[in-house]
Amino acid sequence: MSHTITIEEIVSKTTDLPTIPAAAIKVMRETQNPDSSAATIARILVTDQALSARVLRLANSAYYGLVRKVTDLQDAVVILGMKSVKNLALVASTYPWMQRPITGYCLGPEQMWQHAFGAAVGAQLVARISKKAPEDVAFTAGLLHDIGKVALSVWLENKVGAILLYAGREGLSFDEAERRILGYDHCQVGFHLATEWNLPEEVAHAALWHHDPDKAKEDQFIVDCVHVGDYICSSMGFGLGGDGLLYKFSENSLERLGLKPEDLDQITDEFVIRYEEYESLFQELAA
Amino acid sequence: MAEIKVIKGTGQLTCLGLGSCIGLLAYDAESGVCGMAHIMLPEAFKDKPVDKPGKFADTGVPALLAEIEKAGGNIRRLTWVFTGGAQVFKYGAGTASKLDVGARNGEAVNAHLKKLGARILAQDIGGTSGRTMVANIETGEVRVRTVQGGEKTLCQLKRVRAEAA
Repeated sequence: MSHTITIEEIVSKTTDLPTIPAAAIKVMRETQNPDSSAATIARILVTDQALSARVLRLANSAYYGLVRKVTDLQDAVVILGMKSVKNLALVASTYPWMQRPITGYCLGPEQMWQHAFGAAVGAQLVARISKKAPEDVAFTAGLLHDIGKVALSVWLENKVGAILLYAGREGLSFDEAERRILGYDHCQVGFHLATEWNLPEEVAHAALWHHDPDKAKEDQFIVDCVHVGDYICSSMGFGLGGDGLLYKFSENSLERLGLKPEDLDQITDEFVIRYEEYESLFQELAA
Repeated sequence: MAEIKVIKGTGQLTCLGLGSCIGLLAYDAESGVCGMAHIMLPEAFKDKPVDKPGKFADTGVPALLAEIEKAGGNIRRLTWVFTGGAQVFKYGAGTASKLDVGARNGEAVNAHLKKLGARILAQDIGGTSGRTMVANIETGEVRVRTVQGGEKTLCQLKRVRAEAA
């Protein structure tokens, strides 16, 4: 089997490729600007009414437990903080397409979402514990680490079985088998998509190196947080598709983050507690 | 996750999306009591209170026994089934690693059952696939589903009853 379509074509020819609203991307960039304020964030969000409405709904979910209902975007930014609102904008923008089945990877309804959100929570937790990377950036990069799968899914069709067979026969990880069979893997497609969408560089680098963190040349700690977050979330069985756990884990990521393998049990326990706390947010998303 | 469920005589128990976790099932053929625990980690932390006993192998096994007894099951008559414990690869030559939580979960459950002198009817652990286990108490069938391998019957709980009779 050889690849018949290039990465560029995957991005240009996939007809129902999802998008992230321009306002969400602007908010993502604005939160990294030292001069940003609640007012500038609110001004960007207000340009997208659908997104604003969803952000306000999420801000009022039981998860945040606010005493009074927030109806103004600027208030939401002041109360929850710019970085939380940025994450809410991203969650609100990605949920509609991430909750759909990703059939090329044998992911049923909600499974891609469960995995993406799990990796985001995991990466954020690892960033918090290691203190090596900004938590909100780790969350964003975790949420979007597998976007390549969304684009590649259509083209993979029923090839996943053949890739698995090949990986099993040759003793390869799933991404290695993708590269041998297709000529590229979902990480490279994700990087291309992230660049095309003009997402921040650290998000693109995490998408590219999340299965091979030792090769990252930039944003090493974010890549490491996503690698470990992805591992924890997969290990707990969140959104495992046909590729399952057929991946490699780099202990070097833990070392770079100043963590020990024995810390992982505690982090996993904390991860599950946090993920379950988010359930009230999910109810608002699905409503 | 980390829950313990017990049913009697009718219905089914499901452990959804097991990665490195273990779905542990115990069945008393005579009373028809069946219990299942979704175990996430091998042992509870010494410096942290246990929020859900089903989460850890060392607290999950005794908690499952207690729930089965409460539901009218006889813990001396139990047969056991477990599945899960999948794991990711490691980079480079693998030195003994504390990372293999799937393997450690499998070992911990096995060790606790051995201590009990438990009768293990079937087990399906390891590999790299996520699993779902469904036990139907009416038919006695325990099925395991993986994305790669599809669905298969792991064992038949009722056969134990017939053999015991």
